Amino acid sequence: MFFPTELQTTTLQAKLFCPVLEVLGSHLLKLYPIGVINTIAKLAKTCTLRLTVDKLYFILTDKVANGGVSMWCELSQGNFFDEFQMEGVAAEHNEIYLELTPENLSRALKTAQNAKMVKIKLTNKHCPCLTVAVELPSLSSSSRIVTHDIPVGVIPRRLWNDFREPSVPDFDVSIYLPVLKTMKSVVERMKNLSNCIVLEANLNGEMNLKIETDLVSVTTHFKGLGNPPWVSEDGSQNSTQDRDPESMAEARIDIRKLLQLLAGQQVNPTKALCNIVSKRIVHFILLHEEVSLQYFIPALA
Amino acid sequence: SDEFWFDPNEKGLALRSVNSSRSAYACVFFSSMFFQHYCWTAEPELCQKKRQSPLTCKLIMKSVLPVFRCLNTLERNVEKCNIYTNVNDCHITFKLFCKHGIIKTHNLAFHESEPLQAVFSRHMCPNVLKIQSRLLTDVMIHFPTCQEEVTVAVTPMKVCFKSYTEEEIDFSKAMHTKIHLNPDEFDYFQIGVDSEVTFCLKELRGLLAFAEATSATVSVHFDVSGKPIAFSIEDMMVEASFVLATLADIENRESSQQSLCLSQRQKRQKITDLISSKKKSQEYCVCTTTHFIKYCIFQFHSLFFGAVSFKEQDVISHTLHSLATASDAEDDFDNEQLSHVV
Repeated sequence: MFFPTELQTTTLQAKLFCPVLEVLGSHLLKLYPIGVINTIAKLAKTCTLRLTVDKLYFILTDKVANGGVSMWCELSQGNFFDEFQMEGVAAEHNEIYLELTPENLSRALKTAQNAKMVKIKLTNKHCPCLTVAVELPSLSSSSRIVTHDIPVGVIPRRLWNDFREPSVPDFDVSIYLPVLKTMKSVVERMKNLSNCIVLEANLNGEMNLKIETDLVSVTTHFKGLGNPPWVSEDGSQNSTQDRDPESMAEARIDIRKLLQLLAGQQVNPTKALCNIVSKRIVHFILLHEEVSLQYFIPALA
Repeated sequence: SDEFWFDPNEKGLALRSVNSSRSAYACVFFSSMFFQHYCWTAEPELCQKKRQSPLTCKLIMKSVLPVFRCLNTLERNVEKCNIYTNVNDCHITFKLFCKHGIIKTHNLAFHESEPLQAVFSRHMCPNVLKIQSRLLTDVMIHFPTCQEEVTVAVTPMKVCFKSYTEEEIDFSKAMHTKIHLNPDEFDYFQIGVDSEVTFCLKELRGLLAFAEATSATVSVHFDVSGKPIAFSIEDMMVEASFVLATLADIENRESSQQSLCLSQRQKRQKITDLISSKKKSQEYCVCTTTHFIKYCIFQFHSLFFGAVSFKEQDVISHTLHSLATASDAEDDFDNEQLSHVV
């Protein structure tokens, strides 16, 4: 097997750049992970990739630059990679945090769709890079090798606390979302009329999407959506049980952020729901078979 | 680019264009056999003139494109296309015969101008590669559409296409892509000198689309960095060639793009002597000389703008309109199979 020489480097400079990552997969990269990475590429220009022994996480923290939205996406690596070898910064913190542009990763993986073999390595060329080497079938005796070097930033351990998993907020209403495609086309039309959209829902499985301007107000009603059952950790009943089922919890959010989330969905999730904290935040949860995506959109003042 | 050179001559029709920075030149030559009927006539000169050059018409690209816009509609509706050049009033007429008896006539004014040709001789290039268009597209697909420049590095043992980033752009932001190919994958592989040339991928995409549509083999001729690189396709009836300037010196990262001189003739075309030549309209009072060309479907649009499809459609009607030329000539072409594999 012919590999260009750069790929043979696995040991990296000891002090500055400790993490080692080598990932090998051949019949990996089924639709989902590529789909998810494409979705993330649409949601965020840069984000953090956290690698642990069993999982991969794509994280976006709620900085002002993002407009206050945050994201947490989890994938188990075992489902996708044949070999996963990782050495974090230190034994007790066997994790690697990288800052990268998800679009680059998405583009690199696009190459890998018909690949015989994909190898992902953390390398250090002119700067730390995630090198994706794809071996493609070719007409000749030796395969075609395509290499993508994606520049990444290694996030030092002292900053890791910034990237903790967000907790599920104390929501007022939790409801399953309507078919995302439908929701997306509704929101797309509304985007032309207003910058903000009000998302409201109750425990009766009803959801309304509303926009209001000086000239016009438009509301789309969804019924029969169903409310997911939540059980809190101590097993006690959820506080929402006391709530009047007809009463709507609402939040006014930036329509473009909502549309980004909906438009980015390439594969229909197995489960899609949202938790509304009235006037504070909307927490979206999208579950695919091996991937979970959480997205938080804060309410506008 | 803005301008478009339309050069009919005895052997066929040549279309040329160059980009505004003069670093990319494209020429497509349709031999007379490509057309259902091709008639190029020229009146003998009334007086001797030293300069004997064929008619070269320069058109504004923007006025030509709308004629051939909407390729899908064209394919479905247009049965025949006639192209006439009228030197007297400097017009080229495109007449599209569509379904249901609709005839669309477009009259475009042209300027006479010097012929446009690139200084480049392919046979002088030490490095020659021939590659299936499908393979070339498969290689280029790995580069993002926004990738401007690509470097091809060759040695007799291997070939590598890689993305090129200018030094000013922050290295830590850009993604680098490299594709290694084995010499086996090429239909013809001759490397005389190890070289690394960087050219503009964007300019090439039009040719790639055309190549894929015709499933042709693409020939690549090049030398060391700084010298132009040519991508060409040759078919029985069509020859297309894109000549691109390359970056002068990769090591020092000087981005001085050499411009191609446009004085000498391109060897391939071998347009040397023409017995008779066109003259300006003022000098003809008696006869109108017209060039009469008839096509099946003509989509040169794709060559310059990357749109795909180069199809032939069965011509239903063979009747000539107005200008009569030798009808026997027409019969010769009637049954000819214009084969373009899509």
